[in-house]
Amino acid sequence: MSIADRALTSEMASRPDMIQCRGVKKWFGDFQALCGVDLTVKEREVMVVLGPSGSGKSTLIRCINRLEVHQEGQIVVDGVELTNDLRNIEKIRSEVGMVFQLFNLFPHLSVLDNVTLAPIWVRKQPKAQAEIRAMELLERVGIPEQAAKFPGQLSGGQQQRVAIARSLAMNPKIMLFDEPTSALDPEMISEVLDVMKALAADGMTMIVVTHEMGFAREVADRLVFMEAGDVVEVGTPETFFTNPTEERTKLFLSQIL
Amino acid sequence: MSDASVGVQRTVAPEVALPSPGRWIRDNLFSSITNSVQTVVFTVILLGLLRWALGLVFAEDTDWTAVATNMRLLFTYNYPTAQYGRIWVATGTVLAAVGASCGAWNINPGMTVRRLSVSGTGTGAFLLVIGVITPASTPSSIRTWIVIIGTALVLISLTALRIVDKPHRRSVSFASLLVTFGVAVVAFLWLFPFGNYGFTQGAVYAEPGLVAESTRVPWTVLMAIVVSAFFLGRETVRRLGEAGGLIRRSLTVFWVVGPLFLVFLVLRDPAFDMGYVLRVDIPIAAGFVLAGAVLISLLGQPARAELARIVGAVLAAGAVFNWMAGFMGWYPMLQKVRISFALLALLVLLLPTLAGERAARLRLMGLWAVAMVIFHWLITGMNTPSTLEIAAPPFLGGFVLTVTIAYYVMLASFPVGVLLALARTSKLPIFRVLATGYIEVIRGVPLITVLFFFSIMLPLFLPRGMGISDLAAVFAGYAVFSAAYMAENIRGGLQSVRHGQFEAADALGLTTVQRTGLIVLPQALRVSIPNLVGQAIATFKETSLIAIVGGFDLLRIANATIPNQPDFLGQKRPGLLFISLIYFVFAYSMSRASQNLETRLGSARA
Ligand SMILES: Nc1ncnc2c1ncn2[C@@H]1O[C@H](COP(=O)(O)OP(=O)(O)OP(=O)(O)O)[C@@H](O)[C@H]1O
Ligand SMILES: [Mg+2]
Repeated sequence: MSIADRALTSEMASRPDMIQCRGVKKWFGDFQALCGVDLTVKEREVMVVLGPSGSGKSTLIRCINRLEVHQEGQIVVDGVELTNDLRNIEKIRSEVGMVFQLFNLFPHLSVLDNVTLAPIWVRKQPKAQAEIRAMELLERVGIPEQAAKFPGQLSGGQQQRVAIARSLAMNPKIMLFDEPTSALDPEMISEVLDVMKALAADGMTMIVVTHEMGFAREVADRLVFMEAGDVVEVGTPETFFTNPTEERTKLFLSQIL
Repeated sequence: MSDASVGVQRTVAPEVALPSPGRWIRDNLFSSITNSVQTVVFTVILLGLLRWALGLVFAEDTDWTAVATNMRLLFTYNYPTAQYGRIWVATGTVLAAVGASCGAWNINPGMTVRRLSVSGTGTGAFLLVIGVITPASTPSSIRTWIVIIGTALVLISLTALRIVDKPHRRSVSFASLLVTFGVAVVAFLWLFPFGNYGFTQGAVYAEPGLVAESTRVPWTVLMAIVVSAFFLGRETVRRLGEAGGLIRRSLTVFWVVGPLFLVFLVLRDPAFDMGYVLRVDIPIAAGFVLAGAVLISLLGQPARAELARIVGAVLAAGAVFNWMAGFMGWYPMLQKVRISFALLALLVLLLPTLAGERAARLRLMGLWAVAMVIFHWLITGMNTPSTLEIAAPPFLGGFVLTVTIAYYVMLASFPVGVLLALARTSKLPIFRVLATGYIEVIRGVPLITVLFFFSIMLPLFLPRGMGISDLAAVFAGYAVFSAAYMAENIRGGLQSVRHGQFEAADALGLTTVQRTGLIVLPQALRVSIPNLVGQAIATFKETSLIAIVGGFDLLRIANATIPNQPDFLGQKRPGLLFISLIYFVFAYSMSRASQNLETRLGSARA
C-alpha cells in the first residue's frame, strides 16, 4: 500500500480513484508552498484537511482545479491529468466544484442567475431547463424563496449556501471546500455544515479544508494533517483524534482542541 | 394607529414635519450673529452678480431677435427648408425611442410631492427675485411674464403641499411629470406670444403673435409622440412580462444602429442603380449571410469548439491579409467585402463562446443575417450618389452636428476603450505594451492636435482612391482620442473587480471570453459609470473644437456666423448666452441621468 492510500478501509481501497496527487510541488517565487504531496481521494470519499495557517491547505486544493499551477509532480483528476492543455483544464473545472471562504458570488446577478450562469454558458443548457434545476438546488440548500434577490441582500450563511448550489448546478463529480464557514457568524455555521453533511451523505466526493472539528469527526472518511507544505499524517477520525502517530499532529491537536 | 392587541407592532417611521419657511430661515440663515452676517454679505454679493448677469441678458444692445431669427441656423445650419420633413421624422424617431425606453425600463426618478413642491417654490421665488431686480432696460412684457410665472409656481407648489396627504411619502410618477412637461411645451407653443421670426429672401421679418406654424405643429406632434411612446413602451413591457425583455433588447439595438439610419435619412437619398444592386450588391450580401450560416451550423456545436478556434484564426489571418493587400494595391477588392470578411472571422472566433443548442444556433444565424443586411444596405447606400441636394460643404451643422458627433464618438470609442482597457490589464505583454503605448501617446497630445492631424494629414496616408470626408476624418480623430480616455476610465473599474470573482468564474469552467464578458466587465462598467458620464459630458462640450477644423457647430454659428449677418452685425452675446444654455441643459440632464442610474443599479445590489 502506497503512502497515499494510508488508512483506507479495504472497501474504500477497492473504489476507483477520483484524485491522485503524486509528489506535487509548488513554489511561490523562492518560497516552497507544497513540498511533494502524495494523496489519493477515492470515489464518494470525504476528506478533511487540517493544518496550521500557511501550511499549504488552500494551495493544495487550488492546484486540483488549476487555480494554482503546480510545477512538479502529477495531479490526475477523474482519469485526466492536469497539464497546460486548455481543453483538459476546462473539462476538469466543469467537473470540480469549488466553494470559497468569501463565497465569491457574482454581485451583479440575482441568486437564480448566479446558479444558472455556468450551466447555460458552459454546459449550453437551455435557460428554462437550467432554471428548473437551479430551483431544485436552491430548495435542496433551503433557500428557494431567495431566488430573485441579489447576493448583497442575503446573510453570509445564505450566500454560502447559494455558492454551494451554484457549484452543484454543474453536476460536479468532486466538490472542494476552502474553509467554507470561516467567514460566517457562529449562528450561521451550522446551516452551511448541514448542507455539506447532506451532500456527503448523498455520496459526493469532497475535500474540505476546515477548522470545524465536530464536522471533521462526524463526516470525514479520512483526515489529513498538513504542515509546512507536507502531508504529515493521514488517518481515520478515530485514530486521528484519539491516537495520532506523529508528534506534530499531537501538538496541533492539543492547541486547537 | 394600529391595533394594540396585535402581538408584533410595526410602526411607521415618524413623520418629519417640514419646518415653516420662517422657521427654516431662522434655523439655517440667522442662527447666530456670524451666520446672519454671512447670510447678508453673501446675499448682497449674489444679488449683485445676478443683476449684472441680467444686465447682460436684457441690455439694450443685446438683440435677442438675432437668436430668434436664426433658430434654424443654430439647430440645423443650412439644411434646405424643402427637405425639413426629414429632420422632423428623424427627431420624431429619436423622441419616440426616448419615450419608449423610459417606459420600457420603467424609469422612475422617485420625486416626492414634497421635494417637487420645495423646488417649485424655490424656482418661483427665484423668478420673483429676478422680476424685481432686473434692470430697467428689460421689456416690461417680459418682466410681467416672469412675475406671473414665478407667482404661479409658488402658489401651485404651496397649494400642492397643503392639499396632498403625506406629501413626503406620496411620490409623483415619471408619467405625470412627462405629461406635465408635454402639456407645458404645447401650451407655450399655442399660447405664448413669442413672435414669428425668420428670413425671407435674405431679409429679416419679425411678426408679433405665436411661434411660426412650421415649428408649432411639428413640436406639438413630437410631444404627443414622446408621451404616447412612453405609455406604449411601459404597457407593452408590463403586459408581455417575460417577453418584455425582447422590447428592451430591440430598443438597445435601436440606440446602437438607429441613429446611423437617421443620419442617413437626413443626409442622403441614394439613387440606387437597381441593375447593379441586383447583379453585385445583393449577391455579395447573400454570400456572406450564407457563409456565416454554414459556418455556424458546422462549427457552432460545443463539440467543435477547437475546430472553430482554428478556422477562426485562419479567417482572421485572411482578413488581415486582405487589408494589407488593399494598402499595397496587390489586388482590388470592395471595401465592404474586406469588412464583411473581417466580421466573419470575428464571428467564427466567438463561436466557441456562443455555441449551443440547435435553437441557439438558429438564433445566431438570424442575428448574423440581420447584421449583414443592415451593414450592406448602409454601405451600399453610402457608396451610391445621393439625389438629395444639400448645400455642401458643409452639409451638417449646428446642434445636429454637435449631437451626432458626440453620440457617435462615444458609441465608437466605447468598444475600442473596452478593448484597450482589457489589453492594458491583460497578461500578454504584447497587448499590454501596445495598449499602454496608444493610451499614453494619445493622452499626451491635445485634442485639437489630433483633430488637425486627422483632418489634414490622414487623407495623405490613405491608399490611393480612398477618400474621406472632412466630417468623417474629424469624427475618426475624435473617436481615437476619446477611446484612450475611455480606456483609462474603464481600467479603473476593472481594477476594482475583486480577485475572487475571477477565481469563481474560472472554477465554474467559464472561458476567458465568458469570464470577461459576463462577470468582469459588467461589474467594472458599473463602477465606471460616473467617470464615463463625466467623459460623455466633456465630449459633448468639446465638440465645439470641430469649429477650428472647419465644422459649423453651435459655437461657430453663435460666435462667427450670426455676428456676420448684415442684420445682426457684431451680435455675439445673445447667441453665446443661448448656446451656453443649450450646453448646460444637456450636460446637466446627463449628470442627473447618471445619478439616477447609479441609485438604480446600487439598489439592485444592496
Ligand atoms: N499567491 C501567493 N503568492 C505568494 N505566496 C503565497 C501565495 N499564496 C499562498 N502563498 C504562501 O503559501 C503558503 C501556503 O498558503 P496557503 O494559503 O495554502 O495556506 P493555508 O494552509 O490555506 O493557510 P490558512 O489556514 O491561513 O488559509 C503561505 O505561506 C502563503 O503565504
Ligand atoms: Mg487557506
